[in-house]
Amino acid sequence: MASATANGRPAAPPRVVPPERVGLEYRLSPGVAVRIGILGIVAIAIFSVLFLRLWALQVLSGTQYLRAAQNNQLRTLPVQAPRGAIVDRNGVPLVTNVAGTSIRVWASDLPKHGRYTELQRLARLVHVPFAQIATELRKHAGDPLAPVTVDEAAHDDVVFYLSEHRDEFPGVEIARTYLRHYPYSDLAAQVLGAVGEVSPQQLESPGGRQFRPGDEIGQSGIERAYDAYLRGESGVAHLRVDSLGRPLSALQVSNEPTPGYELRLTLDVKLQQAAERALRYGIVEARNQGAWAANGGAIVALDPRDGSILAMASDPTYSPSLYVGRKPARLLRPLLDRGAAEKANFPGLDRAIEGGYPPGSTFKPVTALAALEEHLISPYDTLPCKGQVTIKGQTFKNWDPYVYEGMTMPVALAASCDTYFYQLGYKFYQLPRERKQPLQEWASRFGFGQKTGVDLPGEQAGLLPTIAWRHATYTPKTDPHHWQIDRLWKPGDSIQLAIGQKDLLVTPLQMARFYALIANGGRLVTPHLAEDVEQPGGGRTPAIVRRRFAPPTPQRVNVDSSALEVVRAGLDEATHGTIGTSQAIFGSFPYRIAGKTGTAEKTVFLPGQKTGLNLSQSWWCGYGPTDNPTIVVCALIENGGHGGTAAAPAALKVFEQYFGRQATQHGTVYSD
Amino acid sequence: MVEYAGNRAAARARRAARAEATSLARRLDWVLVATVGGLVAYGLWAIAGITRHDVPGSPSYYVTRQAIFAAVGIVGAIGAVLVDPGVYRRHHRAIYTGTIALMVLVLLSAPFTRGSKRWIDVGFFRFQPSEFGKLLFVLALAGFLADRARRISSPRTTLQTVGLAAVPIFLVFLQPDLGTALVYGAALAAILFVAGTRWMQIALLAVGAVVFAVLVLWGLPSVGVPVLKHYQQDRLLHWTNPDSDPGGATYNAHQSILAVGAGGVHGRGVANATQTNLDFLPEHATDFAFASLAEQRGFLGAAALLCLYLLVVWRGLRIVAIAGDPFSAIVAGGIVVALLFQIFVNVGMTMGIAPITGIPLPFVSVGGSSMIANLVAMGVLLAIHARARAQDRW
Repeated sequence: MASATANGRPAAPPRVVPPERVGLEYRLSPGVAVRIGILGIVAIAIFSVLFLRLWALQVLSGTQYLRAAQNNQLRTLPVQAPRGAIVDRNGVPLVTNVAGTSIRVWASDLPKHGRYTELQRLARLVHVPFAQIATELRKHAGDPLAPVTVDEAAHDDVVFYLSEHRDEFPGVEIARTYLRHYPYSDLAAQVLGAVGEVSPQQLESPGGRQFRPGDEIGQSGIERAYDAYLRGESGVAHLRVDSLGRPLSALQVSNEPTPGYELRLTLDVKLQQAAERALRYGIVEARNQGAWAANGGAIVALDPRDGSILAMASDPTYSPSLYVGRKPARLLRPLLDRGAAEKANFPGLDRAIEGGYPPGSTFKPVTALAALEEHLISPYDTLPCKGQVTIKGQTFKNWDPYVYEGMTMPVALAASCDTYFYQLGYKFYQLPRERKQPLQEWASRFGFGQKTGVDLPGEQAGLLPTIAWRHATYTPKTDPHHWQIDRLWKPGDSIQLAIGQKDLLVTPLQMARFYALIANGGRLVTPHLAEDVEQPGGGRTPAIVRRRFAPPTPQRVNVDSSALEVVRAGLDEATHGTIGTSQAIFGSFPYRIAGKTGTAEKTVFLPGQKTGLNLSQSWWCGYGPTDNPTIVVCALIENGGHGGTAAAPAALKVFEQYFGRQATQHGTVYSD
Repeated sequence: MVEYAGNRAAARARRAARAEATSLARRLDWVLVATVGGLVAYGLWAIAGITRHDVPGSPSYYVTRQAIFAAVGIVGAIGAVLVDPGVYRRHHRAIYTGTIALMVLVLLSAPFTRGSKRWIDVGFFRFQPSEFGKLLFVLALAGFLADRARRISSPRTTLQTVGLAAVPIFLVFLQPDLGTALVYGAALAAILFVAGTRWMQIALLAVGAVVFAVLVLWGLPSVGVPVLKHYQQDRLLHWTNPDSDPGGATYNAHQSILAVGAGGVHGRGVANATQTNLDFLPEHATDFAFASLAEQRGFLGAAALLCLYLLVVWRGLRIVAIAGDPFSAIVAGGIVVALLFQIFVNVGMTMGIAPITGIPLPFVSVGGSSMIANLVAMGVLLAIHARARAQDRW
């Protein structure tokens, strides 16, 4: 910008007469010209920056921003797949789906102002405490795009109201869902397990990448073990929304969900029902017989030939439908909170696989087989059976103080003579060091102290005490004064182990598996519940089996068949001989049943009590028919007193259902 | 006779007036007139597209109102052309007092609108004094400085000017209208710069401004004296990183950049501009009008607007150079720089290169005060041009 005064021509005289000017005639001084030049440069710089930025955004990255803008209005929603049904061995449905309507909140779409009042209104509508919704929302705060389910099974009138007043509830979504339905209510609750929303911990776990927040997955039992088959694959739908998250179009499903497969179990509904009834009957029976603290138990019925579980009951139980929809927290507390669970005596616990109990006399066949195999005794050697026996200055009592006779092994099994087995236990103790611990070794071969491998989560291994275990367990920490004595394996340890007492802990399923081994001639089965997964047929199309779960071949444990024969004779004597401990129960049953009672002492902390009580756990395990066993039943009544008075009658009920025959008479029970 | 003489006198006066009008018309900057006319027309066309879906059932609600404002503004501009700028200089004290009085009136009487008091309701439209204040502020300060043209290099003059300017700036800031306060600041800087304040003093003022900004943004809040509102602070501090909090403080910036980028070269058209139509882009008819325009009309449309602005700024700077007296030069400088600053901050904020402040986009954003005030300011520029010297050189 050159100075205008450098102009050669004279400036045209201004025709508009300027008003009188103050001061000198204004000249554009070089200084001011420079300043105007600087302003010009600044202007050019500013416009260059704007043009370049506009160019970068629109021309260079336009497509990318266009996609982002399109996603801005498109919301991708998962479409829940219907979860596969669970049926029993005959195809009777145990768990099915019903359609439901859920109400979900998208935190990111809630209005900035007034979200509090909106949520309070919603809380009143769906009858969920506001605090609960707020807590859930806070839990999901890390992921604003994951919806929070406020009500899984909303009532129709609530749904109608919400859809009519949709504009007043931005961020609230009404979605179709499937809800688990249990036609048999609480039947086999612990086995079937429950379905629930995937937890943040599960999402972060190594296998959690397959889940999305808000997914419903199997959380326990069969639902969890076979979740991958049952879950199916959720589809994808798109929804166009405006900036407030209000839908602008109908839901467009772009990927149809794949329904989950149907799962067929080995359970038999009728037998399962019978087992659960029998369990409750056994508990009542035990109380009637004076075992006032009887308050729970388990019954397992399995096929000794392949290990398929026919029934698995655990008491107390709960209704899995508690997990469906939003029920008062009070009802769910015994399943989630430890203190409440203790008060309710752990209804969520599957005692058949998770409960550890001393087996008592039902363990005697293990001792018998081990002693025969190790040639510590021959089957028809007699040992004195007395009211008590004193070994190494310590007196061990028999359950029947009045008996005094010599007994062979079958008779000792039938009469459940403790003193006979005490002496066997002492023989095991006296073995030289190089013979190691054959009783524990045989017990371990029979599956004790280890998981059975059943296809359920949460199985316990129990405890098989050994010298090494004792040594490792008792340290100065457990008892600063006597730990050096405690950690020694003493005669009493072997003697008590011989009758299934002291430290030994087994699960009812382990016990059933061992009796299956006796019944099937020495093969260890793997108990299992799943038979196959099927693609459900509809109308005329038959169901297609997608995968059959072949049970692992039963493993031979190389136990001598003649030794097994001796034990079988003893168990048969126990249910049919005059001295048999459960003869009064099974003696008259049309099918020949063999089995053993057990009464195991256990220190029990009853709900709400601080001091432990020494209470008897009532056991009965056996099989039938004896010539070709097709079913093993193992019953346990917690704190149920004698095996013959509580567990045996309960087990009989299961056999009655299985064989379809009633026992005719009921004698007086005299048993351990 | 008397009557005749009277007629002759009247005829002479009429002739003189006609001659003056023709001369005035001949001395107008027709390039600037055409450019501003084009800007107004382009702005109306842009607003027509941007607000088509804003009022259900009446797609031309905003554009009609805006056209009326533009017409009023053109009348105002013609009026401004006819007034000799010297008049403003003589009355700069009155102008200053009037400006202050208006702003105090706003603070005292205006109802709260979105948390701020900016308007005075005058029947059919809400009058926003701070928009007119921009022009009045420039006129008043230019008059003050022109009176002290000989003492322009004395620090006392500079300090007095800054002190005078501080009052309206503070009043606008109180409304609170941070963006407009910043525009005033830019205009003040331009006025001092064009008036010829010494470089050293300008440098000291710049340092002072930086220290002040640091104090306001970090210093005082850290000792528990919050000067800015929370959202103002967030916007000023977060604009360098628009993705840091897309749901909160930087939501506007994020959505705005998306809108601009999504426009691409040719734009998405009026119907498909989802950022605008579905309200993802907030305030798309006012503060974020540029983003909306860029989304609908693409790079071509947005660049065309920037070109028109560039033309106006060029013509404006040219008028600064050829202005007939210091007062006119200072006024022209203040007007042009204030305009340039508004364009940069508004367009820049929609693209994430300037902080988000509520500044309207000149000639485009919906708003009567802004439209009328800007057109009148253009009228003043044209008036200066018409009375300039050596205009045929440029």
